[in-house]
Amino acid sequence: MFAQQVLNGLVMGGVYALFALGFTLIFGIHRIMNLSHGAVMMVGAFMALYAVRFGLPFWAAMLLAMAAGGLLSVVVEFFAFRPLRSLSIADAEFGSMISSIGMGLFIMSIAQRLSRTEVMRFPFGTVPVESVEVFGLRVTSIQLLILGCAILLVGVLAAYLYRTPNGRQIRAVAGNQRTAQLLGVNPDFIFFQTFFLSGALAGAAGVLVGLAFNSIHYMMGEPYLLRGFVAIVLGGMGSVPGALAGGLVLGLMQSMSAAYLPALITDAIIFALLFVILLIRPAGLFGTTPPEGVTRRI
Amino acid sequence: MNFLIANLPLLDLVLIGTGYAFSQYVVLRSGTFSVATPAFAALGAYFTAIMAVKVGIHPLVCIALATLVGLLSGLLLSIPLARLRGVYQAIASMAFVEIVLSLNLFADSLTGGPLGFNGIPRYVSTWGLFIAVVALTVILIRMSRSGIGRVFDAMRQDVSVAASLGVNPTRYHALAFGLSGAIAGLFGSLDALRNYSLTPEQFGFNALVACLSYVVLGGRRSVWGPLVGAVILVTLPEIARPLADYRMAVYGLLLAATIVYMPYGVVDSLIAWNQRRRAQQADTSLGGGTA
Repeated sequence: MFAQQVLNGLVMGGVYALFALGFTLIFGIHRIMNLSHGAVMMVGAFMALYAVRFGLPFWAAMLLAMAAGGLLSVVVEFFAFRPLRSLSIADAEFGSMISSIGMGLFIMSIAQRLSRTEVMRFPFGTVPVESVEVFGLRVTSIQLLILGCAILLVGVLAAYLYRTPNGRQIRAVAGNQRTAQLLGVNPDFIFFQTFFLSGALAGAAGVLVGLAFNSIHYMMGEPYLLRGFVAIVLGGMGSVPGALAGGLVLGLMQSMSAAYLPALITDAIIFALLFVILLIRPAGLFGTTPPEGVTRRI
Repeated sequence: MNFLIANLPLLDLVLIGTGYAFSQYVVLRSGTFSVATPAFAALGAYFTAIMAVKVGIHPLVCIALATLVGLLSGLLLSIPLARLRGVYQAIASMAFVEIVLSLNLFADSLTGGPLGFNGIPRYVSTWGLFIAVVALTVILIRMSRSGIGRVFDAMRQDVSVAASLGVNPTRYHALAFGLSGAIAGLFGSLDALRNYSLTPEQFGFNALVACLSYVVLGGRRSVWGPLVGAVILVTLPEIARPLADYRMAVYGLLLAATIVYMPYGVVDSLIAWNQRRRAQQADTSLGGGTA
């Protein structure tokens, strides 16, 4: 029973990690809180659903969903964040949260129209449902698929960031944007890459959530937005390995709480944890130096 | 007059919306990016409902106590939130809204849970709401013109500068939170005594976005900003009926467009434009316009 909960938690944590990685990428590099990330995730799930209904195989639907998420994220950057870049830091911080909430609402509203507020699901047999017994644990093919996708995508992202010239440029901008620009890095191209990567990860997370819970609807991204934030605060803001670890810890906590505590109290516990971490360990569970600007110095 | 009577329910919604907008406005003006208004409102509303129905206390006393509950929860929340800044404050306050929402769903023996709290007596009329909004507007204008308004403006523009001028930011943040909580508690209570029933989702993410939209659209410096914002955003979908189906899209587009093209909101932009025009006129009448 306990081991089964651990497994369920790891699977859930994989999805959280994918979602939180995209979120933390944007925050770590551009100091922008993209509150339309949940809506981008939902669009990924919608895209995959339409592709599967159209008759495409699942892997093609997944790729399409990632492309759609990535492109949408780039569009959000263009309309919601680019016009605010010239403002002062405080105004840009406030403004980008507001404008990304606005873009998220707009995207959700279009999805609500498209789906007529229905809860949709992948057609039966999109992914063959089988379960195998491993050491007395029941593992479904969907769980294996989710874990596999999460590990693969995290690996690809890490390789891109740490093993390619583009990744080096992105990390340079994260370190210091002005210096990177002086060295000839084109900031617009960096913004394009980070937002595309972040959106693609959100799109993939959306497809996996749609598969795991067998429900796709226009509001599905909203709870993940705050939970994704809990994951990155747990792991340390802006840190890629931190988001991974935070996502897994959050997934484990959620499955344990769902198994051993009353059902409706889970959210209250998770969000109370966010408070505690922000106040007591702003660097996250594993970090040592808190990121700049969490707490006021005066 | 007939038009007014036909639209009384809408007027109620505008007045309640204005109250929530004021609560959101107070924190934003002080440079605190908290969005906890729906949580305070939920506390006030459920407190009122429980006291009025289950304990049987007179509604007027309930309203006063709910305002006090809002004030205290605002002061309590200011202790952790005043230590955070910017986006962290916003996220922590969103988490607070979610915590209150899920506790309301959880404690169903007390709050009715997901089914909602029904059978609350109707006690508050449109006149009552109107008086509350007018009184609040007057108080806020008085405060705005006093030292408190100036301190809030200074803190919003730069906390370090404000602190170097002798302002204690922690104390003024606590004041802003307490005031915001009291206003939201009051209007949550009035909302409960007007609407017969309450549901937890009424004080969820959509309410949070609505409160934020009122203040962003109207402006977060002048007291008239949240009022104008609430009037526009509550009446717009009702007057232009087809828009009601697209309420979320309208709010979303208005939020994004306002912050990009008119970052200080309708009222504050108009005031600034008017001041510039007057300054120019004064300039030309003094003969300095050509220089």
